[in-house]
Amino acid sequence: MSLESICQAIQESRIGMGLRESPVLWPCIEATHVLSLALSVGTIALVDLRLIGFIMKDQPVTDVIEQTQPWTFTGFGLAFLSGALLFWSEAFRVYPSWSFRMKMACIPLLGLNALLFHKTIYKSVDQWNTSSVVPMRARMAGWFGLVFWAVVIFCGRWTAYNLQ
Amino acid sequence: MNLLPFFKWCDATWIGEVIRQSTTIFPVIEVLHLFGLTILLGTLTIIDLRILGIGMRRQSIPTVVSNLGPLTVWAAVVTIVSGILLFLSEALKCYDNQAFPWKMWLLLAGILLYPLFQRRMTRSGALESSAQMKIVAVLSLVFWYGVALAGRAIAFV
Repeated sequence: MSLESICQAIQESRIGMGLRESPVLWPCIEATHVLSLALSVGTIALVDLRLIGFIMKDQPVTDVIEQTQPWTFTGFGLAFLSGALLFWSEAFRVYPSWSFRMKMACIPLLGLNALLFHKTIYKSVDQWNTSSVVPMRARMAGWFGLVFWAVVIFCGRWTAYNLQ
Repeated sequence: MNLLPFFKWCDATWIGEVIRQSTTIFPVIEVLHLFGLTILLGTLTIIDLRILGIGMRRQSIPTVVSNLGPLTVWAAVVTIVSGILLFLSEALKCYDNQAFPWKMWLLLAGILLYPLFQRRMTRSGALESSAQMKIVAVLSLVFWYGVALAGRAIAFV
């Protein structure tokens, strides 16, 4: 069974069809996706901007990370859930889209970036917590996050324009 | 007051014309609009949650406001300028749209809220905010997320 036929089966399932054809539910899910995306990527960007030394330079890095995290997770959870439902309703339609594929490739990369950051350089945060200029590896993680989340938003919006 | 001539004039501007005739300019501006909106909602959410006392509690209100204020303004500029460009390219479509006036009224309310209460936010050294300030923070969240919601609704109504 190919990925394409799996996508077709998902889209043609009863739930997929029901979601797609609902005049109220579908726009509500899409609106949830946009709003929760702003909450999660907006708060992630604050952490990344602190790491690259653009904002909150005189505030401890741990304060910025720990205090934005619950909101990032709330936003991400909602965006993921609403995104999964949107995919369910049009999996076969978005399957051939290059921008959708790129988006799906970037999200795991961003997860990996966050994981690597927390497992490596963040372990020694006590040494640079209050510095306005943080170590190179932490700054790189910040830049990676900013650039690739921007790519995700770009690709997400672009997918609406390259569907058949 | 009949606003139709104004919407017609906007729709007929050369900028609107250029954006409308290109297949790529509109989505590119739309993406910029989304970037701005993402940062704007991110900073406003953190500021409002701080005033409500449920986010960034280790920093004082003036610290949060002075650290995030400039970024908020930049994000607002990007969002509004890109929004005006998008509007020029489809002003007549917006005129007939039921969600568009909602978006504009909420936007106006959101913008007016700030100068009205900004002084108190940056001056008060208190760690806790007054009930009044908390109401303003809730209104701010409702207005700004409302703007985004109404904006998305333009495509559906």
